[in-house]
Amino acid sequence: MDTSVITDLFDTSTDNALGWIGDNGEWLFEFIRFVLQGTYDGILWFLELAPFYVIAIIAGLLAWRLLNPVAGLLAGIALAFCAFMGLWAETMSTLALVATATILALAVGIPIGIVAGFVKTFDRALEPALDLIQTLPPYIYLLPAIALLGYGPATALVATFIVAMPPSIRLTSLGIRMTPREFIELGQASGLSPWQMFTKIRLPFAMPSIMAGINQSLMMAFGMVVIAGIVGSGGLGETIYGAVRTLDIATSINAAIAIVILTMVLDRLTQSAAHRAKAGVR
Amino acid sequence: MNPDVLRFSPGAYLAPAVDWLNANFHPFFAALTKLIETVLGGIEASLLYPPAYAVIIAAVVLAGFLIGFRAATVTAIALAFCFLSGLWTASMQTLALVTVAVMISVLVAFPLGILASRYEKFAAASRPVLDIMQTVPPWVYLIPAVMLFSLGRVPAIIATIVYGIPPMLRLTTLAFNQVPKDLLELGQASGASPRSILLKIEIPSATPTLLVGLNQCILLSLAMVVLAGLVGAGGLGAEVTRGLTRMEMGLGLRAGLAIVAIAILLDRLSKGALQGRRIGRSATAA
Repeated sequence: MDTSVITDLFDTSTDNALGWIGDNGEWLFEFIRFVLQGTYDGILWFLELAPFYVIAIIAGLLAWRLLNPVAGLLAGIALAFCAFMGLWAETMSTLALVATATILALAVGIPIGIVAGFVKTFDRALEPALDLIQTLPPYIYLLPAIALLGYGPATALVATFIVAMPPSIRLTSLGIRMTPREFIELGQASGLSPWQMFTKIRLPFAMPSIMAGINQSLMMAFGMVVIAGIVGSGGLGETIYGAVRTLDIATSINAAIAIVILTMVLDRLTQSAAHRAKAGVR
Repeated sequence: MNPDVLRFSPGAYLAPAVDWLNANFHPFFAALTKLIETVLGGIEASLLYPPAYAVIIAAVVLAGFLIGFRAATVTAIALAFCFLSGLWTASMQTLALVTVAVMISVLVAFPLGILASRYEKFAAASRPVLDIMQTVPPWVYLIPAVMLFSLGRVPAIIATIVYGIPPMLRLTTLAFNQVPKDLLELGQASGASPRSILLKIEIPSATPTLLVGLNQCILLSLAMVVLAGLVGAGGLGAEVTRGLTRMEMGLGLRAGLAIVAIAILLDRLSKGALQGRRIGRSATAA
């Protein structure tokens, strides 16, 4: 059985459809690209204001406050190490990519999660969609993004945004639903307005779960941003992609070490912030 | 302060070490490559030798008998899609890669997971390692594999195996820690040997959690195998990569949808096995 008739038809109609979208929706994608690129450039500009040791010291102090002095020292030295390997600029653009995608994912995901926490039917309707997003290999999210936005950081940001959103929705809605009954009754008994009930009782109780969601979103974003090197995201992902293709072992090892350092530092920082939030509730 | 003063490149020191390994242990890596290629080739050939419709029918019948009607329907739709999209060969290559990788991951992770549930010290020692392994982005796993085995299917499968081990190991440990104490005591009291306690009590009661671990392992392996298209692993990942880099969107989209079909197929089958068991168990309990 020959399937080339079907596949040829599929390919030409895909190209036609994309061409049509490109002709008619260009202003929209231009706008999306502009917003994403703008946010990314802004964050990158801010990160590049300070020399590398200032950022390493800030990370070290944060780790000191949140974890312990040893962790602080390690975090600072590890980040400075990225600069000593001559990969500081790439490290910062990776950080800017991750930060932009995670902030966007949280800005969309947390409100959706809050609504899902209150409205059970909405939560149940979301469930299969989130399951599907998390079942598929992250690599394929680059396809629609590159088809619509072309080569560059904006594509990487869209794909990363898709991958990073589900954990924040899930854990926010879980947190909102887990508010202890007695505290809600306490709030009702003391005559709180719905808004006060939300900000003073539900949100503080949901905080540990939301923080855990932020941590998970961040980790998903890291995984994706590195993969996105193939679509010209810039940063360490692209460095690794180039080095692996040319079998440049030294550079690929250095870039891999820099990624591991950046990931571990941010993971431990956000994890300990989540633990803090938990301890705060208790 | 200029970072160039302290310029240090660990890669520049490690690269000669890798070269040395490649030069002096070449027979070892070559033999390993040969072994993996043979196993993979065998599985691939047995999936590709019969005509596609025969494989589809066989898979649907199997899924129907072992799991249920819904699983059979999902299998039929997913595999038919892979065939109609003209990517049958690539889909079977991807399936073969995932199968081999998952089998080896489970073979490694299962005993280690049992060990970790028996010996608290081993569990404590393995926890930070697993933490690091699960934090590192998947791309990074491919780098050492590519350095030692160059481009192709072998580095892909090795990276996939290593990537699939932590979730399976974690959930195996969890599964065995969750075995009810009274069941174990019952076994000891009735004088069962450790072997029959393991086979007749622990494994059956740990099975639901073990299947969750298997599901995770399969999905993570699929993600890695697809990603490994970047290093020349072939299969659907290679088609996606071609679509992405040459802007052949039709091909990329077809390959992407075929991956979606395979992912849903593998997810449903492994979850279906879990639910099938639950129903079977409650039926025998009643």
